[in-house]
Order: sequence, then C-alpha cells, then structure tokens
Amino acid sequence: MRRRRIILSLIIPAFILLSSCQHKPATAPANPLLNAYDVEQNANDPQRLIPLNYQQAQGKRVFNDKCVWCHAGTTPAGPSNRSNLTPTPPLFTDGETFNSLSDDFMRNTITLGGSAMGKSAIMPPWGQTLTQDEIRAVIAYARAVAQPPYKASARPASQYSEK
Amino acid sequence: MTAEKMGEISTRLRATFALASVAFVVVLAVSPVKDFFQSWKKYEKDYVSYAQTRPDTKRLLADFHPGIDQIWLPEMRVLDRCTTCHQGISQAGLSDASVPQPFRAHPAIPHDVKKWGCVICHRGQGPATEKSEAHETTLAWEQPLLPIRFIQASCGVCHRADLPQTPKLNRGRELLSQLNCSGCHHLQDIERPAMLGPDLSNVGNKLTRQWIYKWLKEPHTIVDASGNTVVDGYEMEEEPRMPQFRLTDQEIKALSAYLTTLKGQPREPYKFDPSAVASLQKSADLADQGEIRFRQMFCTTCHSLAVTQGDETKLIGGDIGPELTKVGSKVNPDWLVAWLRDPQSYLPHALMPRYRWSDQDLYKVTQYINARLIDPDLLSNVPPLEEPAPEEIRLGQRLFLEKGCASCHVIQGVGPQKDFGPDLAILGSKNVSQLEFGNSNIPRNLISYIQAKITDPLSVNAAARMPQYRLTPTDLDAITTALLSMTGSAANSSLARLIVPRAQGAFHPAGAFGELYDRYKCAVCHRFNGDGGNLAPDLSFEGSRAQPQWITGFLKNPETLRPTLIFRMPQFNMTDQEAAVIADYLGMVTQSPAVKLSTVDQKQFTPQMAEMGKQFYEVKYQCNACHTIGSAGGYVGPNLSNAGNWLNAAWIEEWLKDPQVLVPGTIEPRRSLTEQEVQALTAYVLTLKKGQPTSTTAAAAVRGAEQ
Repeated sequence: MRRRRIILSLIIPAFILLSSCQHKPATAPANPLLNAYDVEQNANDPQRLIPLNYQQAQGKRVFNDKCVWCHAGTTPAGPSNRSNLTPTPPLFTDGETFNSLSDDFMRNTITLGGSAMGKSAIMPPWGQTLTQDEIRAVIAYARAVAQPPYKASARPASQYSEK
Repeated sequence: MTAEKMGEISTRLRATFALASVAFVVVLAVSPVKDFFQSWKKYEKDYVSYAQTRPDTKRLLADFHPGIDQIWLPEMRVLDRCTTCHQGISQAGLSDASVPQPFRAHPAIPHDVKKWGCVICHRGQGPATEKSEAHETTLAWEQPLLPIRFIQASCGVCHRADLPQTPKLNRGRELLSQLNCSGCHHLQDIERPAMLGPDLSNVGNKLTRQWIYKWLKEPHTIVDASGNTVVDGYEMEEEPRMPQFRLTDQEIKALSAYLTTLKGQPREPYKFDPSAVASLQKSADLADQGEIRFRQMFCTTCHSLAVTQGDETKLIGGDIGPELTKVGSKVNPDWLVAWLRDPQSYLPHALMPRYRWSDQDLYKVTQYINARLIDPDLLSNVPPLEEPAPEEIRLGQRLFLEKGCASCHVIQGVGPQKDFGPDLAILGSKNVSQLEFGNSNIPRNLISYIQAKITDPLSVNAAARMPQYRLTPTDLDAITTALLSMTGSAANSSLARLIVPRAQGAFHPAGAFGELYDRYKCAVCHRFNGDGGNLAPDLSFEGSRAQPQWITGFLKNPETLRPTLIFRMPQFNMTDQEAAVIADYLGMVTQSPAVKLSTVDQKQFTPQMAEMGKQFYEVKYQCNACHTIGSAGGYVGPNLSNAGNWLNAAWIEEWLKDPQVLVPGTIEPRRSLTEQEVQALTAYVLTLKKGQPTSTTAAAAVRGAEQ
C-alpha cells in the first residue's frame, strides 16, 4: 500500500511537471489595422478604415497613378475628369457595378481596353503599360474598397482575396 | 541478523531500486515527450489535414516534407525554420484570405522566400521552433517580428533609393528631410536639405522684436473664424517646418532681444525711379493692380494665401515657399523690396528665382503686400517690449546654442553643433535594453518607444531637449517606418553587397545657360537628368519634344498646357536674349536618344492623312477623353489646341508608339497602333494650331486665315 503511494506521489508530480512544460501563451486577437500593409478609407464612412494587404496596396498605388483621373471623384490635380466623359466612368468604389463583373472580365477590360469588351473606347488598353501582376493588384484593390462590399463566395474560385 | 530481517531489507532495497528506476525512466522520458508535443508537429499535422480539404491536395502533399524545414543561406547569415509551420508560404493556391494562418501563401513580392529567407525582412528569431520564441521578444532574443504596418522599413534596409512599392517609407524619409531631423541627429542616408530655416545673420533688418516674440510663442500665423489655428499645414496636412519649443516667457524675451540685434551691414533701401512710380502713387486702385500682377506672375505656385469661405479658412497655393497671408505685418517694407529684387543676397540658399522686375511691377506688388497681406491684430497679444537689455541679449545668445536653434538656423557662419542630438543612424536595430523609457507606461518595445518619443518627447525623458512636433497618425507611422529602416551598416559584407544606394542626380550646367539656370531656379520645379523637383514636367528631353520658337514664346509668356493645374510656371519677365539662350541650350542638349528629329519630314503629311487621323482621334481611340482641343475634351493630358506649333513631328510619332520610353511613368498608356495610324494621328495633331480653326485640311486652314 505504502509503496504504491510513494510511486504515485512520484509519478503524479512528474506528470504535472511535464504538462506544465507545454504552456500556451495567451494570444490577443490581432488588430487587422495594425497588421495591414496599408489602409484605405471606407467610401461611405471615412471614419472607418479598410485594411489592405500587399497586393491590394500595390493596386492602390497603380490606381492612384493611372486610374484615379477618371474613376475617382477627386484627383491629385484637383477636379476629376469624369464630368467630361460620356458615358461617365463608374467610381472605383462602385460595388453595384463592379461586384457583378467577374475577375476575368475586369482583367480583360483593363488589359484590352473598353472597345475590345463591347464597352466605350474611352477606356484605353493598359496591357502594354501595366504588367499582369499590376492589373491583378488593381482589381484586388477595387474588390477591397467596393461599397457594398464584394463577396467572392458568389462565384467559384476567385483568385483575388476578399478583404 | 535473521533471515526475516534480511528479507525485509532486501524488499526495501528492491522497492527503492524500483522507485529509482521509475524516476530514472520518467526523467529520461521528459525529453522525448517534450519533443513529441512540439507545437510545430501539431501545425504540420493540421496542415496535412487542411490540405485534404483543398482541391489541389495532391500537389500540396507532394510539396510537403515532414520534419523541421529549414532555409539556410550561409552567405547572408540566414537560418530560418519559419517554413516548418508556415508550410504553404510559396503555394500560390493558398493565397486567399480564407486560408487559415500559418498556412497562407506569402503575397507575390519580387523576392523569393527560398532565396532570401524570412527573418531578413520580418525579423524575429529564425532558428526557433516555438511560435512565441520565433515571434516575440524573449530573454535571449530582443528582436521581435516587425508588425506588417511597418514592414516597408525592411525594404529600406537595402533599398536606400526610394521604391514605388514603398510609399510609406518614402514619405517617412521625405519627412525626416523636410523637418530637418538631421540638423540634430545623425541619420542614415538622409541629407540635410538645402533649404533649412532661414539664415538669421541679418534678421534684425527684416523683423521686429514683437514679431519674433509672437513667432517663438506660437509658430503659427493664421487663425480662422472659430479661433482654430489652421496654418501652414494643418489644412495642408503638413506641419510648419518650425516645431514648438518649450520656452518660458523670459526665454522668449531674451531670444527676441538677441535676434533683433543681428543687423549685419546696413544697406541703403532701394530707390524707385520717381518718374516710373509717380503716376502709380496717385492711382486709387494701386493695391488692386498689385494683386493682379501678383496673380499674373503666379506667385501662388510656390506661396500659399489663406482664403476664407464661410467659416472655413483654407490655404490655397504651393508649399515650396512660406505662406504669405500676413507677411505684410511681418517684414520691414525696405527689406521686402530688397528681397524681391535679389533673394540670394540675403539668403544664399534661397530657392526663390531672381525675377526681372520693372520698377512699376515691383512697386505695385510690394504695395499690394504691404496693404492687403496684413493682419492688424497679429501682434495684439504681445506684451510691450522695450529696447533689449544687454543681459537679455547675452541670455538670448546662450539660449540660441543651448536650445539647438543653430541646428537649423545659421548666424554669421555659426552652423549646427556636431552631435547635438543622439545618433539615430542605427536606431532600427537597437535592442529594448538600450532604450530609455523613463517613467512612461508604454509597452517596452522599439516601435512604441519611437512613437512616444516623437509624439511627446518628455514622456520618455523628462529632460529632453527635443521640440514638440505635431504629426498626423499617418505621418507618425511613416516616420517610424523610415527610422526602423535605419539599421546601420549591414551585419556582414555579403549583405552590404545587396544595398542599393540612393541615386545622386547631378546636373550643373555651366556657361550662359548655367547662370540663367541658377537665376531662375529651374531645378526647383523641373527635373533634368534625374536632378531637380517634381512639380513641373521633366525637361531632360525637352529639346526633342518642343519646337525652339515655341520654347522661346513659352518662356516669355507661359501659357497653361494642363487645364486643371493650380500651379503654373511664373512669369519671369525674361529678356528676349535670355529666352533665346535657354531655348538654344534645351534644343541642343536635352535630346532623347529615342527621337530622331531629322527622320520625320513634315511635308509627307497630306490633308487626307490628317483627316483620317482626326477620325482615329475622335472615334476609334477617343483621345478627347483625356486631351482638350479648343474647349472640348478631358483634363488628364495636356491641351493640344496648339500642338502643331508646340511639338516636333518625330516626338509625336515616338510618343504614340510608346509614351513610357520618352517619359517613364507617364499616365498615357501604350497602344498597339499601326504605322499608318501613327502617321495619320501625327498629321492630325500637327494641324492643331491656335488662332486657326481646328479643321484638318490645309484648304480649310487657308479659308480660315482669309476670313
């Protein structure tokens, strides 16, 4: 009896000791804004920020370089060129227009220009100016900032992340 | 001893032996058990079961190798085991945000994980196989993972030149240079900007003691209707370059006393030609005339003025020079005339061009500034200040050095003191134990230290001399990123080889053009061979682009090529000869290797080609979406109404073939135009001449001229 007790009293602390070796540090929920490569204001509510990943941030850069002139309300130079154009180009945050378009359609429109896809020739082809990676990034950016938000689940196997 | 007793002892011995054996086995088992429960094994198991749920299971499992995965790059001293848990890091199929961590693929960046490793950018402890040890600060390892928010700092460790992919880092470097942080601190690769705070050697001639007092008390000059300071900056989202120093009233009085005594050599005020200004002096709308001239000369390209609409005050104009809303209440009128005539004689590094003024213009503009750009209430809160007392002057002189004023301002050759502030050239690689946190409650890590120090220098060190900057959160993150990128010289020579140095543009023309280049400060706005400003077009290839007579005309009377531009080229009042010298130089020297002017003969273009070009322009390619002709068209590209007088035919052809070759990074995309289309469009653009109808055929042009 006594012997068993001694053995047990040795083994139990040993197990307690062993199990304490595997401690799990408490993980605080990560703030997505603090772990974002870049952020963008929500078009409907400028107080809210949308976190952007690396690809989306690169898209934002390309957008602000090439696309902003006709697809945004204000531009780095001041007024937007949208008001000069018929048909008026959609704003880049216009989810109602873009959410229903497939990634492939958007990629082809940007690459080949509007006239190649049965849209207005106002939209020039960017395929020889931007790389395919840059065009993908621009689409990823537009998906990230779309209002109402873009849901990839509606169509299978999107290669661009939601936000 | 009885047999019984012997038996008892042997039983006890056996029991002790059994116990010892069990204890021994347990102790021996500790290590294998610990190994068995390693968290990375769990992650690997999870990865395998996760891979089963993916459509590309076969591929994922084919690339999976159980056990510790290691990236070992002895040349770069990289030893990473991160890929043990981050199994999917280079699996393109796992890039979606729905993939749980740690299995998600790394976003596509120019550096391959296998060739560079992970810690080289992300920091952390590479060889660790426990998550907490790899990611966080431990007793043995002080460099935790860099939050993604600041990850661009890692690009800057090697890429000392700005990259387009790292806007945050670039902004941070720009701020460090703009705010002249290198005036006090040694910073890696940040040069002292040419334009520091003004040279104060003769400041007594320029400013009154009252104004200096006011400025030191609060380096802001505009207050809007609701009493908010909105200066330099706040509305422009930029800080005034001069930060707020913590000075007592007595110290401010002493500094203002000292500075007003700095008068240098007295200079005779400029005498206007009495006959030239006699008629102006009598005119009632002198200030209005001056304002018109001020606007015509596009002073607002570099200087901003506050404009109040309703309750809101906004600064409108450029930020190359100081804002001028209240400058009439600030400077001595005689000083103003002298400054406008020759800024460099007062401040040798001034960016302001030396305009050619007529006496009338100079008189009008100075009268406008002294009459309109004033604020009678500006100095109302300033206490009465008497003649400076000698002890005040002495105290002021001492304070000027003690407070670090000399880091930005020069007085009679007294420049910045060496090592006034701590050396920050290797701040980005400092360990937490090397930082002073004082009594603050902030988390003990490098990033919160940097941010606390900039936001409130006293919070981490009650005796800090550093002045108070007010940065927006975005700018604070940018500056933190730039500071984190400063890790000093690379850890070893093989890493040092990777460093991409900052490009040093150098364009210093000599001769007659060189003099004009310095006089009119072309490089403040224009770029030549990689050297100069970004406000105006790059002129490295201007000689290939523009026709010489157009350049001459533009210099004499700059017209606007881009309808939306707020910032326009000022009118310098150049002489004909000066304009000719500049046009000659640009035509001879600034030629693009891609454009052969002689190869395109304008005579080959027929009216039929131009008519066809017009169709391409208006219908097929809809160029008018971005370019304006006459009054119709878009804002994005330059106005082409006068392109026939402006552009060279060979330039237009090359431009249409590939704009990016001539101006890298320009907005216009490259299209696949046929040779015939290029020629037709060129023929059409060449017919666009101002003052003539934009119809395409020569006959129509002739008819237009006759009418």
